[in-house]
Amino acid sequence: MLILSRKENQKIRIGSDIVINIISISENNVRIGIEANKNVKIYREEVYDSIKQHTTEAASNIKEMLPTSMKELKLNKIIKHDKKKN
Amino acid sequence: MKIQNKQFGEISFEQESIIEFEEGILGFEELTKYILISEKDGYFFWLTSIEQPEIIFPLFSIKLLEEEYVEDGEMEPYGIVKLAKEPQNISINLKAPVFINHKEKIGHQTLIDSEAYAVDYPLFVKTEKV
Repeated sequence: MLILSRKENQKIRIGSDIVINIISISENNVRIGIEANKNVKIYREEVYDSIKQHTTEAASNIKEMLPTSMKELKLNKIIKHDKKKN
Repeated sequence: MKIQNKQFGEISFEQESIIEFEEGILGFEELTKYILISEKDGYFFWLTSIEQPEIIFPLFSIKLLEEEYVEDGEMEPYGIVKLAKEPQNISINLKAPVFINHKEKIGHQTLIDSEAYAVDYPLFVKTEKV
């Protein structure tokens, strides 16, 4: 693995199309800006992993029996702007 | 055209019904050609790979959960569903929806970079009886 040290506002260029910009650094958080073509997919690693796992399990769980009384189930509708303030 | 799998047996379909996913589905990037199978009175659509017919993704129309879900032109948003024996364990991926343009027969998967949408959103709420 290539390891580089960068300061705030310094950049890294990957190939000719991708630029990584170190926007700000704090004690345990780095803000990173990424410039890339729209077709380049950028994921937080843990999000990528969870999507991949869910998709893989979805493809292998298709034989799970569905309850016969499916119609009695109530859809879990998405309620927008439901930001819980605790 | 015909394919065969354990879930549906032999499936006949027209060439025109093939939906092209140029970039595939995350984790299954090499599979780009699918057909969308629906069942009468069925809850789900079955996105079935014609290159590897045993690969099937159950899809659910996200608009039934939220009418104002993220728009993408004339494309219809679906979530990949992970089935389970217990209905309360059935979850739908709202973070990486599958968009399908039924007219153009093309589809793609997008990432919604918002805390509002989960990868494993429970599709059903527990009914009061349970």
